[in-house]
Amino acid sequence: MPDKINLDFEKKVAEFYQSLGINQGPGDIQYRIILLVLKKNEGEITEFAEIRKYTDKVADRGSIGSKMKTVFQFEGLAEKVQRGGYVITDKGLIAANFIKETSVFYKRTKKMQTMLERLP
Amino acid sequence: MSAGLLLNTTICFAIAIICLTFAAVITRNKSLWNDRTKPSLRALISLWSLVAITYLFTAFRMIAAYANNTELDMSVYYVAAIPFAFISVPLAYILMYILTGNKQTSRFIGLIFSIFGLAYLMLLFSQGVMEPRVSYWSSLITVNSDIAINIYLTGLFILPTAMILGIMTLIFLRKVSKKQLYHTTLLLVSISFVIDFMLVDMITNIDVMQLAARIFVLIGSILAYLSYFPPLTLQERLGIEEKHYEPYDEMDEFDPEVDVNA
Repeated sequence: MPDKINLDFEKKVAEFYQSLGINQGPGDIQYRIILLVLKKNEGEITEFAEIRKYTDKVADRGSIGSKMKTVFQFEGLAEKVQRGGYVITDKGLIAANFIKETSVFYKRTKKMQTMLERLP
Repeated sequence: MSAGLLLNTTICFAIAIICLTFAAVITRNKSLWNDRTKPSLRALISLWSLVAITYLFTAFRMIAAYANNTELDMSVYYVAAIPFAFISVPLAYILMYILTGNKQTSRFIGLIFSIFGLAYLMLLFSQGVMEPRVSYWSSLITVNSDIAINIYLTGLFILPTAMILGIMTLIFLRKVSKKQLYHTTLLLVSISFVIDFMLVDMITNIDVMQLAARIFVLIGSILAYLSYFPPLTLQERLGIEEKHYEPYDEMDEFDPEVDVNA
């Protein structure tokens, strides 16, 4: 997984999955970004401020805080280890790898779609 | 003189007419044209036009052979070699454009293939050809230069066929709709059929093999037409026919006059 998170690309991928009726998981831009930021800091503490650095462009602070609690902590994808500090768990890494796979699937599908559109 | 030569002439004319008709139908069919398909469709029209011109001249060659006019036979062979030498140009352009989507790269590849064609023509005209060997079935002309044959083997056969196989593998690996699979596969197979058997047609020394190759070119051009305009029976058999359903209004379920179980 590349260290740099491309917000525009992630938005496009999420919109693609939403267009397929998948509004949660791969189709949820907040879920994607939070997981990618957590994965970027694998083995280290991820500050909530760092997550917000990316998510502020797509969601408000409240909804991100709520998502951290109701999805990430509740499902055991991340552990809160200090005030405003999270660490990704093994389960979280599985979810992050799944998100990576969804990006690959998106790229492959789009590539094939555009290739077929160019066919005479 | 011989019915075989007349049959050969008819096949060449049939190829020319089918290819020209196909090119004309594509040109007029506006539903096929959009910003993405425009470059590849233009190249496809050029490809089929070049095939048509090549076989139109070849048909004249066969008539000349039938009339025992060796000089005319040889002269027309040189004329037919010109469109033939450039057949791989639009083909390489189409394949590169499908793969990359970049018009400039496709043009550049097209240019390289035109150099192949020019090199072939230069060698053909400088080294010349042997006198035609007229048989019951055909009139065979052998090119004096082995390098020229190698050039068009590489330019017309190896590279474009490898590209076609690459695109087909990509399509088979990904799940696409039945209709798209039918159209793409049949179009690529037909192009491959035509160029490969044109090559056999040009390099063979056996008259019957040349006739058989021309029959396969004819089949290839028909397949190309069918890839765009499949007959209804074929559509039904393959399950690719377009069905138009009326949108269902749920309010009908509450209408006492409409029997929903009907």
